[in-house]
Amino acid sequence: MHRTVSMLALALASSLSLAQSHDRHPAAPGSAAPPWTGQALIVAAAGNRGDRTTAPYRPVGLNASEIHVFGPRGGEQAFPVEAGVARLRSPAPESGNYHWLSARAETPAHVAIASTIWYASNPGPAPVDLLRRIKNELEIVPDPLPREHASYRESEKWRFIVRYEGRPLAGQIVRMETERGTRTAFTTDTEGIATVLFPRDFPPDTEGDGHARAKAGFVLSTERQEAGRHFVTSFNHTYAPDSERGRSLGWGAVFGLAGMLGALPLLRRRPAKESSC
Amino acid sequence: MLKTLIPTLSRLRFAIQLAMLFVTVYGSVLVGTYMAGKISNALPALSCAYDQMNGGYCVLIPTQHILHHRIGEAMVRAQQLTLSMILPLLMSFLAFFAFFFVLGKAFCGWVCPLGTLQEVVGRIGRRFGIGLRRLTSADLLAAHRVRPVKWLLLLGLVFLLPLLTGLGVTPHALGNPYCDICPSRVATTLLTGNTDQLALRVGDGWSFALGAAADFLIGFMIVGGLAIRQPFCRICPLLAFNALFQRLSPLRLVKTAHANCGQCRICSDACPMDIEEISQQAGRKAYTEDCTLCGRCAEYCPQDGTIRLKWGPLALFSSRRAYYKDKVRSELPDGSVKPLRFMQRDEAADAR
Repeated sequence: MHRTVSMLALALASSLSLAQSHDRHPAAPGSAAPPWTGQALIVAAAGNRGDRTTAPYRPVGLNASEIHVFGPRGGEQAFPVEAGVARLRSPAPESGNYHWLSARAETPAHVAIASTIWYASNPGPAPVDLLRRIKNELEIVPDPLPREHASYRESEKWRFIVRYEGRPLAGQIVRMETERGTRTAFTTDTEGIATVLFPRDFPPDTEGDGHARAKAGFVLSTERQEAGRHFVTSFNHTYAPDSERGRSLGWGAVFGLAGMLGALPLLRRRPAKESSC
Repeated sequence: MLKTLIPTLSRLRFAIQLAMLFVTVYGSVLVGTYMAGKISNALPALSCAYDQMNGGYCVLIPTQHILHHRIGEAMVRAQQLTLSMILPLLMSFLAFFAFFFVLGKAFCGWVCPLGTLQEVVGRIGRRFGIGLRRLTSADLLAAHRVRPVKWLLLLGLVFLLPLLTGLGVTPHALGNPYCDICPSRVATTLLTGNTDQLALRVGDGWSFALGAAADFLIGFMIVGGLAIRQPFCRICPLLAFNALFQRLSPLRLVKTAHANCGQCRICSDACPMDIEEISQQAGRKAYTEDCTLCGRCAEYCPQDGTIRLKWGPLALFSSRRAYYKDKVRSELPDGSVKPLRFMQRDEAADAR
């Protein structure tokens, strides 16, 4: 599941382009959905370079008035969406890397929930408690999350748990849509786990690693009718090309062998002397 | 039973090295993804973050990263270097040196996975009778001539280039230069069956060149390690990083002068870093920046109490003639092992 990493990836979700509104929810200004999905998303907003204490995120395809931040140490805080953007901070007690972001819009008959993860690039606790915690009624929860310097990558399989009120849901259909155009679906097993295969849908010449590494958005969504209400929940983030793209194992082997050849003169036999005292 | 399994300090150290190699390379398999992170965050360095099966922390990573992304970015915008910029860098150093205070340079000699791999390669070389080459003036070249290299790597690749990249002076591909040439990145990921880090990034000249350097180093290390002990350790910037505060750690090797010192030189022969000063000097001067606290000099010193491995006032191990005699029966100071000979139990008793 885990593959090669890029060290400089800060794992902030990439900015996703604007577009249409969600078909079932009136869109607020600045909450237009990107063209590749009709599902609700939370995406990083541009314009925050230099300020690492706040993270601008915006809900898209969802008429949410605030984004809830669930901190790595149990804190929770809601930040208002102003002019389409919420400027998020780590809720007290601060310090830590993994932050769960959640936005919702609801009517008496319908609840739409969008979720994502924000990596704040600070050392802190593992996200076990954060992921275990119930944040909304219907949830898609990564199990596990990619670590800070890792990322979801094409051709990899990752597990996601679908829960309702904390209970795993077996046989639940999880739909996947990617920015590169893939549409697919997975079904949860008896433990509520959907094993999601990330599609290999980047163009052939895409850079797989390094600073110019491409990223694309994906969203997983599922829905459920419960207690007379229709719940739709989504989890979105980004995935990257296979890190083998743009790399040559042959050249690597050539230089490895060159190093071996360079060391060969050291192996000329010399009798080892036994020390004595 | 314990004495039979771990009869010597070397055996204890090797057992710890193998256990730590497992933790630092395959840790998440045993204890889970996040817990492995917690464990290796508790180690000072070189649990390589490129390997996703371990915990993934190395002090050299945040050092390059912060210099590249935070300080450089802040300076280039002519903003003040506020606490929010400096603090992460200081915290990385403080965390490193807090653990370093407990472990001292023993990280290098007892925990570092790359050090363990080099030691295993060296053992293979000794086992197959490949003659040992030394970094001494009588053989390849004096060890002290190589010592500046690790400082240059630390200053150039860990501090300077990431900062210059953050300032926009050097290309973006040079933001992480030490990791790009670090053979541990290649070695530990290869151990998990991942060839991505061995493969070179084509299309970007700098990335290709740095990756080629790493692959050359790992190739050189694998073959050269058969003849030279710990070849990469001698230029490892982490050893330099450790050396910055080695005098502050309570874990240290202590040598007192003895009339025979400078004559038998067995301690220097036993030293995997070829530190000649151990046999020639006493006190602090005996242990240079290259010492990895492996303790072999103490094991092979035939004089009672001349070399001690101490943690503060506590002597963890002292050199003893009886221990030395027992030790050289199976392994010579340079690491050469005596041929295995199978004996009857009563014959073995007579031999003792």
